[in-house]
Amino acid sequence: MRLKALLWPVVGIIFSSTLVLSFLNFGGPLVTFLNWATIGSLLFALGYFVIAQQMLVYVSKRLVEAALTLFVIATMTFLMLRFLPGGPFDSEKALPPEVKANIEAKYGLNDPVAIQYKNYMFNLLRGDLGESYKYLGRSVSDIVGEAFPVSLKLGIYALIISFIVGIPLGVLAAAKHNTYVDNALMVLAMSGVAVPSFLTAPILIIIFSFWLNWLPPALWDGPEYYIMPVIVLGVRPAAYIARLTRASVLEVIQADFVRTARAKGLPQTMILFKHVLRNSLIPVLTYAGPLIAGILSGTFVVEVIFAVPGMGRHFVLSVTNRDYPLVLALTLLFGSLLVVANLVVDILYGVIDPRIRVKGSS
Amino acid sequence: MAFTGNLKNSFYRSWTQWLLVLTMGALIASCTKNKKEEYGLDIRETLRININTEPPSLDWNKATDTTSSTVTVNIMDGLAQYDLNDPELKLLPALAESWEPSEKAKVWTFKLRKGVKWTDGVEFTAQHVIDGWERLLNSSTASEYAYFLFSVKNAQNYFEKKVKDFGEVGVKATDPYTLVVTLNQPASFFPYLTTHHSTYPIRKDLIQKFGDQWPEAGNMVSLGAYKLKVWEHDKAIVLERNDDYYGGKAKIKNILAYMIVEGSTALNLFETGKLDSQHEIPSVELSKYKERKEIREKPALILQYYGFNTKKAPTNNVLVRKAIAHAIDKSEIVSILGGGQVPLTSWIPVGMMGYEPDIGLKFDVEKAKEYLAKAGYPDGKKLPRLVIGLNTNEDHKRVAENIQGQLKRNLGIDVEIQNEEWKTYLNRLKVDPPNVFRMGWQADYPDPDNFMNLMTSTSENNRTGWKNSGFDKLVNDAVSLTDNSKRKELYSKAQRLLLEEGVAAVPLYSSVRHKLVADRVVNYPINVMDLLVYKYTSLKE
Repeated sequence: MRLKALLWPVVGIIFSSTLVLSFLNFGGPLVTFLNWATIGSLLFALGYFVIAQQMLVYVSKRLVEAALTLFVIATMTFLMLRFLPGGPFDSEKALPPEVKANIEAKYGLNDPVAIQYKNYMFNLLRGDLGESYKYLGRSVSDIVGEAFPVSLKLGIYALIISFIVGIPLGVLAAAKHNTYVDNALMVLAMSGVAVPSFLTAPILIIIFSFWLNWLPPALWDGPEYYIMPVIVLGVRPAAYIARLTRASVLEVIQADFVRTARAKGLPQTMILFKHVLRNSLIPVLTYAGPLIAGILSGTFVVEVIFAVPGMGRHFVLSVTNRDYPLVLALTLLFGSLLVVANLVVDILYGVIDPRIRVKGSS
Repeated sequence: MAFTGNLKNSFYRSWTQWLLVLTMGALIASCTKNKKEEYGLDIRETLRININTEPPSLDWNKATDTTSSTVTVNIMDGLAQYDLNDPELKLLPALAESWEPSEKAKVWTFKLRKGVKWTDGVEFTAQHVIDGWERLLNSSTASEYAYFLFSVKNAQNYFEKKVKDFGEVGVKATDPYTLVVTLNQPASFFPYLTTHHSTYPIRKDLIQKFGDQWPEAGNMVSLGAYKLKVWEHDKAIVLERNDDYYGGKAKIKNILAYMIVEGSTALNLFETGKLDSQHEIPSVELSKYKERKEIREKPALILQYYGFNTKKAPTNNVLVRKAIAHAIDKSEIVSILGGGQVPLTSWIPVGMMGYEPDIGLKFDVEKAKEYLAKAGYPDGKKLPRLVIGLNTNEDHKRVAENIQGQLKRNLGIDVEIQNEEWKTYLNRLKVDPPNVFRMGWQADYPDPDNFMNLMTSTSENNRTGWKNSGFDKLVNDAVSLTDNSKRKELYSKAQRLLLEEGVAAVPLYSSVRHKLVADRVVNYPINVMDLLVYKYTSLKE
């Protein structure tokens, strides 16, 4: 019991100090240690919960399923790429046939598809994702290894912003249901969902870079460079979360136990934040799974507009370049993120609402 | 109650204090950032440019794209270099002091400069050139530009492993500073090839030591005015002046090259003083910048054309092709593009030897109608459906729609536009080209041969199906001549065969490049080949 009580505050402190230091672009062994400590403590917390809730069998089943899913994803992507017309070495200036044949032989592209598939899968099992066809001499793991942390950083701040802003606004709107506060907030949220990032970004750039001259319009060199991309990326999920929270709170607020709490004379804020909110978070959590996977793996529009050297552009350019190994690596990474995020969300259901029990736990 | 109130207050106070400290910190950080760029570079001696994307490879034997060559052209030199001040881009000595043709330009002797040092102090010799050429032609290198030296005796045989010993290939060092090159047949343009990055000398010892990683910063050595200092993938490259450069020190100490994909993002950075130049201005933004003093405009050696599939009905009929060629008013196309492009009827673009404005079929609706009637389709009646193919791109689409309109208006024929994603489109051109297809060509070297060779029977880039042995012979003969007026004559005959008799293609326009260059930059490189050589550029105090 004492351990459990300590767990979340410790994780929280480590996590938030890592976030602040990382935002201010501090480097060095302390930050590296904190990064690992964050990952470690999050895993520990999750593991602790899985064991405490006796979900071990369930989680291992899900992990086997995940591996199967990823295998199917890899196979489908591989086949679809081969059926896509145009190859990696087709270019405006057509190569002499002997030169092109020689290059294709080097990458094994003139082997039958079945052989290529077999080679790819064996390499994948050994953890070798191959070498990029476009960026010569760079392994796909290097490319992803350099771009992913950038997208991760941008994504984590955007996620935090969207939860910190979205949930309280949703609760507030629900508490002031059918008043002008509610209406104003929901109009705001609706526009947040509806306005695309390729519009919010230029508007912010005009205001903060051109008129006020406070923030740089692009690049990725330090704290002042992070602010605008994080906001632009966070607006839409924040708005969506606000709407989800509001709807869910409105539903829970009518439950019997809330009436009981009111009857007991508990203050409104306490009812809202202690009794209602926790029970309203299930839909938000469900949305969080795909959201986390989508945001952490990088977004094309925001990263391109702000020249952020993350994963977003690779998702698009690797396909137009027919850079098969890179496309496959990105698909697998996105797939794994999605699978893991959904699994974590499923585990967290039990944390938020102990009434939820999964099959396989006794 | 008062007690909790105090607690509450102190809680808030401590938070506001923290917030204040954080904002102050961020402010101080942003203030100090303004004086120094990232990587600790002093802005006053750093030229900040945008190279658009991560260079696919700085291995100059293997690189094929303009981003990579923008970097390599600044850190390396070839045997010869272009005279960037000469409008025709004549050659100047670089690593070679001089060169001489013999046997009617079939054998070339290059005298190399003595005492030139690589950035690690090793002396440059002819063997480094031979190593580079061997590597380029070695099939295990798998370089896309291997064919660049196929004009050298036995080079293609070595590439195809028909000749095992590189000693049989026509390049020899008679002493450490003399290189003798023997070609398959005379070629007046040969020295131009030595300006190209694929033929630069290399250091075999480093490639053996570092393998694929040799072009990384820290591993790479070079011979140019700059050296590679930082290469942060997908983000930026820093070049630092090579103080021991044989050609005299460059004026600017550092070049900071960002990799910004989106044109309007780069424009924002330019406008806020974070970039010193930007090379691509989206055509929708062009009108906004046209009146600015920072704008530079320069014709480019780029030909945009529509090719005909001469094997597919109805464009297999030369009369139909003539009718279409006569029915397109190119000045109309140029005016809707609004970028200062030059309408073109000839194959060789403006600014190149051999350009003659009167070659090619001119806009003439009456003639067009006449040809169409002669072909058996008076007023466009009964003409089988025509397809114009293009790769998906805003400007190409606008051009195609304009041509669609012109053909309807002038000939009464309906055409269908089919656009496809770039590589899908390239595949379509290989497998089954549409009746009319959009294509372009950008000069590899400023010699008409580079354009004329495109349409020979054996060219992979001739997707028209049109083959003419007379044309092949004219182009082949012209290459071996060193007398420019005679060459011009042959090219003019060949162009008329291609465009007026065979009508395998319709040239549309030659492109113009627009750049923005900041006020503080002096002598920014602007030339028809768009070679971004920065060694003569300087910054105002």
